[in-house]
Amino acid sequence: MTSGENRDPSLRSGFQKNRYFFTTDHKVIGRQYFFLSLAAVLVGAWLSLLMRIHLVWPHAAIPLLGEIKPENYLAQLTMHGTLMVFFVLSTVPQAGFGTFFLPLQLGAPNMAFPRLTAAGFWTALISFLVLMAAFFVPGGASGAGWTQYPPLSALASAGPGQGIGTDLWLVSIGLFCLSSLMSAVGFVATTVRHRAPGMTWMRMPLTCWSWFVTSILILLAFSILLAAVILLMLDRHAGTSFFLPGGLLISGRAIAHSGGSPLLWQHLFWFFGHPEVYIAILPAMGVTSHLLSVFARKPVFGYKAMVGATLAIGALGFMVWGHHMFVSGMNPYAGFAFSTLTTAIAVPSAIKTFNWVATLYGGRIRYATPLLFSAGFVSLFITGGLTGPILAQPALDTYLHDTYFVVAHFHLIMAMAGLFAIFSATYFWFPRMFGRTMDERLGRLHFWITLSGAYAIFVPMHLLGIAGHPRRYSDLSGVQYVAAMAPLQKFITLAAIVTIAGQLIFLVNLFWSMRRGPAAETNPWECGTLEWTPASYAMSERPGEWRPQVSHGPYEYNLPGAEKDFIMQDAPAS
Amino acid sequence: MPIISDRVEIERKPKLGGGGPGKIPHRRGFGGGDDGDRGRPEDFRSRNQRMRRYRVAMVLCLVSVTVVFVALTFLYVFRLGKGRYDEDAHQWVRDWITLKLPYLQLWANSLVLLLSSATLELARRAMDKKEEFAAMGIVPPRMKRDLPWLGITLLLGFGFLAGQIVVWNSLRHQGVYLVTNPSRSYFYLLTGAHAVHLAGGLLALLVAAGGRLFALKFESQKIAVEVTSWYWHYLAFLWFGIFALVHFARG
Repeated sequence: MTSGENRDPSLRSGFQKNRYFFTTDHKVIGRQYFFLSLAAVLVGAWLSLLMRIHLVWPHAAIPLLGEIKPENYLAQLTMHGTLMVFFVLSTVPQAGFGTFFLPLQLGAPNMAFPRLTAAGFWTALISFLVLMAAFFVPGGASGAGWTQYPPLSALASAGPGQGIGTDLWLVSIGLFCLSSLMSAVGFVATTVRHRAPGMTWMRMPLTCWSWFVTSILILLAFSILLAAVILLMLDRHAGTSFFLPGGLLISGRAIAHSGGSPLLWQHLFWFFGHPEVYIAILPAMGVTSHLLSVFARKPVFGYKAMVGATLAIGALGFMVWGHHMFVSGMNPYAGFAFSTLTTAIAVPSAIKTFNWVATLYGGRIRYATPLLFSAGFVSLFITGGLTGPILAQPALDTYLHDTYFVVAHFHLIMAMAGLFAIFSATYFWFPRMFGRTMDERLGRLHFWITLSGAYAIFVPMHLLGIAGHPRRYSDLSGVQYVAAMAPLQKFITLAAIVTIAGQLIFLVNLFWSMRRGPAAETNPWECGTLEWTPASYAMSERPGEWRPQVSHGPYEYNLPGAEKDFIMQDAPAS
Repeated sequence: MPIISDRVEIERKPKLGGGGPGKIPHRRGFGGGDDGDRGRPEDFRSRNQRMRRYRVAMVLCLVSVTVVFVALTFLYVFRLGKGRYDEDAHQWVRDWITLKLPYLQLWANSLVLLLSSATLELARRAMDKKEEFAAMGIVPPRMKRDLPWLGITLLLGFGFLAGQIVVWNSLRHQGVYLVTNPSRSYFYLLTGAHAVHLAGGLLALLVAAGGRLFALKFESQKIAVEVTSWYWHYLAFLWFGIFALVHFARG
């Protein structure tokens, strides 16, 4: 295939204002989200590097920044978490790939509300810029953690970053909520109303199912976060006391607030925060199911069970927020209920994991980079998931909650697994998104470095946690039993430096392939879903002509009697 | 008595799912979304499609609004029962101060909101009728009862907001401020959040009413009124929920 022939019309060379600023083309918006997340992940990774270096060499002077003070450490902690959770993990798998591929996979010419979708992106961008601005204001960024627990977050006098830095954080997250809500409305309406003829619910690719369920989670969860953020703003600026108890002293002076409850914020935040975990991981699960089937050349094992498990995880996700609050002084009976429900999530998660492995079993596996990353996702999901039931026990969590054990758990299951799914989706869809192919050998090198790096960083952290190393502290070198763990910390930092350096391979591969990579074929992975049909490429900026007639399921690989080992969804029915 | 078809052949229900070995491929004509009127490529921008799209979006908005108000209700009830720990007396004290609500004004506001809901429904029906006539190619006859319902709704809506401001003012004159006590904060919070949502609805109605000004086609105007009417009725319902909450759970 020659270059240009199968390039998507939305991929024009040269910069055109109307194409990039005022576009309602979902393919352009999807790419915009992709680059927004890329910027966020670079900043977030840089912050994690600074934190790791500071933990091991507390007095090292960083070039340009100097020595990291404890408040800087807290600000880095906060911003790392915020950037990674909001702007990376819940942006690119959902809003990024989702906006690009949901209409294509459903056979719809565009999102249901193109202008709303575009407005969603621009709001997200403004939100990102507002958050970044916090680095440059007096006092620096907020230091209250990505969970922003009051009273620390509610009182401007509580710390250097608690003034304008926290205000910016709250404004930014408020805008992000709006952006996610706008985007989610478009997603659900597209899925409900815009499916191509013949695209029944049970013929939707599993990616679409997970985007759909995630959008519903977003609608429920981000509304609550938006309300909570507004209440916290009122506490900060209107003098109310929703979250502030009386009798607090700051620098020896009593505050004027009284009668509020910090636990209320925790309830509101985690009612958002736990579904947020699934907002991040469900699209990743969808991508993994999709890719494992494509590269094992087998139908997804238990498609209906997969759909059911996705729905079950979505529903259960709203009933378990209390497991983040076992040590907050919650009623122990509530803790028991939350613990039971949390353990119940292991059931749909295990169904999914079993089905992934069963999909691979006996398949004619093609070991391409996207498959490696998907398999890596399954591996990390299991490793990180195994510590889930441990932390779901209030008795164990009381000991482990404020240690590195929790850091290890959520980084493996949410951050690393999510990241692996993002990588696999990037390698898989790159030809469709940018019309060129990524380098396979660099991809494999990147995979092995990242996989071994992920394990090298986070498995030792479990040990730190079990040994009682508290998290969130900037410098504990004076504490004797913690100081004894310094060699392990040093190992983790070295592993982190190598792993983050390894991501440069990905960046080089990404940008080099974008400009110079060999032109992609129309359907390089021989995948059966609609985004790879020639007609979907030909669909131009005047959508509406593309209306495929779907007569096949999404994963019809190696059907007996078929001429090729895959059947496109819009192939005529036999 | 069900009519038994004379077709002997039993149509086999197609297996759902990913297909794959051993599964029967779908037959053409099965599935294809949820309703019969889809399929032609050009009807994406048709009135029906657009209307349905916007209805889905409105349901989603209502879900989102519901979640917020359910959460606020929980906060209210939680705070009502909780009290605070008195450092000096070393005991829990109940610090919820019962509100003296201006009931007359609140009932007047409720009536205004209810009326606005009714007039909006009339506006919607009038537009329906106009559309039907237009579809038949008849210029709709001017009817006596064909009042400018949309304008009346707008007036009533603004009247409700003004009434709420009167309520807040009268509370303020009693010395009840947002900050004084949690019971007061929550009253302002609930009614304020409701007013903000209602103002959003008013904005949408304003755009719909000034359709020409915003270069809206009649079709878009109709969709806007229809969808906003769902929102509006829902907010009226929500208002009575809030009213009941602050009345019955006044502590």
